[in-house]
Amino acid sequence: MSLSKASIRRDSLRGKTAIVGAGLSAVGRVPGKSALGLAADAAYQAIADAGLQKSQIDGVLASHAFSAPFHRFSVALSEYLGIQPTFSNTLQVSGATAATMFNTAAAAIHGGLAETVLVVGGDSLLTGLSPDLALRSMTESRDQQYEMPFGIPVANTFAMTAHRHMKEFGTTSEQLAQVAVVHREHARRTPGAQMTEPLTVRQVLDSGWVTTPYHKLDCSLISDGGAAFIVTSAERAKSLGVAKPVYILGGGECYTHEHIFLMPSLTTTGAVQSSQRAYAMAGCSAKDIDVAGVYDCFTGTVIMMLEDLGFCPKGEGGRFVEDGQMTYGGSIPCNTHGGLLSFAHSGMPGSLFHFHEVVNQLRGRCGERQVPGAELGLVHSLGAGFATNATTILGTEATL
Amino acid sequence: MINPKDAHVKPLPQPDADTEAFWAGLKDGRLLLQHCLECSHVQVYQQTRCRLCGSERLEHRAASGRGHVHSYSVVYRAPGPAFKQDTPYAVLLVELEEGPRMISSLVDGDPLAVDFDASVELVCDPVDARITLPRFRLTGRR
Repeated sequence: MSLSKASIRRDSLRGKTAIVGAGLSAVGRVPGKSALGLAADAAYQAIADAGLQKSQIDGVLASHAFSAPFHRFSVALSEYLGIQPTFSNTLQVSGATAATMFNTAAAAIHGGLAETVLVVGGDSLLTGLSPDLALRSMTESRDQQYEMPFGIPVANTFAMTAHRHMKEFGTTSEQLAQVAVVHREHARRTPGAQMTEPLTVRQVLDSGWVTTPYHKLDCSLISDGGAAFIVTSAERAKSLGVAKPVYILGGGECYTHEHIFLMPSLTTTGAVQSSQRAYAMAGCSAKDIDVAGVYDCFTGTVIMMLEDLGFCPKGEGGRFVEDGQMTYGGSIPCNTHGGLLSFAHSGMPGSLFHFHEVVNQLRGRCGERQVPGAELGLVHSLGAGFATNATTILGTEATL
Repeated sequence: MINPKDAHVKPLPQPDADTEAFWAGLKDGRLLLQHCLECSHVQVYQQTRCRLCGSERLEHRAASGRGHVHSYSVVYRAPGPAFKQDTPYAVLLVELEEGPRMISSLVDGDPLAVDFDASVELVCDPVDARITLPRFRLTGRR
């Protein structure tokens, strides 16, 4: 993959903005809360965490919500919060939306469009939609002429990539299952996580097929939940006296295709380009990252991402996981909250939970889950059968 | 908002300006590929311009109907109730002899017999008076 160095400006957004507040709603099964209600719960927490008043928010970036009928979720949420921002948008690039919101917030602040941006998402996929309709709402995101008539759920697009990965590199069902087991072990230490029962590789393999090679427990959860963050300029972060601002050091995105049948390679994704751009902007490489949030809609997705993000060579993701490299004591602790597989997955806000965890790791707030000495973090969001990829690199003041 | 009744009906393609000829071709038993007369690129996905060079000089030619399985997944949990009675069924990512790939599903055979690189051939499967779906069957060759 060639990286266009010329396209990465010297005067980039590296270290120009910081996350100064983070909030999380209740997640999992949260009856009686709408998508807006969940987003608002998280937003008020984030605003308080930053030591701000809601009137000081001048920008709102939100992810679209399946369960909410609003075409302009960010605008509806502003109204719900009783604020009138002067910068707002609702982003929709499926699972990649989370990282794109941080990249966009940093660019908007760096470019002067806003000073203090609320990055937020909330959705109610578990109790706000029946399971079949939740799935249906996802399948409707596939092409209505070339894909959907053949009964292809989104899971199926990811399944075909993992299947091909198994064929090309000898990745095994046990290695996929181990990804789920690692996530469960992490979630067991995370207060509020949706799934905390112990899990074994055998249980994953015995959990019944969803779409080969994926069993039920190779698939992420369906949840309710929201998360929110306050992003502001580095100068403002300093003047606010926030204890541990988390700086946005680099961002990168890549959109290789819309349809799975036009994906250039089923086993190497746009995460290569998105992460290389983010590393270049941040001035670091995969080996420098202390803690990561890696989109885990399915177990095989994680294995492919560990490779494409540069944490291990292509084709070795399965063995890397088996060797314990993606957990504590390994080379890159990932998804220490339990991820979409065991913490919660409420659609597009799902990857915001990865941000919440990585931000808290960098602030040293993770208690028994704390990765010692975590200074540099990466979050990778992706969606729609790897059609969309977005990476954000975060760091403490020490990394500036 | 999603109407729960819609979830029980299989979605059928609604031909549009780009795809009218494609679906009409299938009704006549032909899978029409777009061949670019400028750069020789071949595409299944119907568009007004060649995706590689941008030329509008595209010509429809019927595919041979032969291809092989690049990847596949056997669906046990259907995407909504409309496909429930068909499970398990094999969704195929077919690589056509002419080069491009397409999504389809297996007809006339055991979904569990599908494997990587298996040879497949086109079966035009009429769904209603308007729509015929391009599906594939295993040919028994590798």
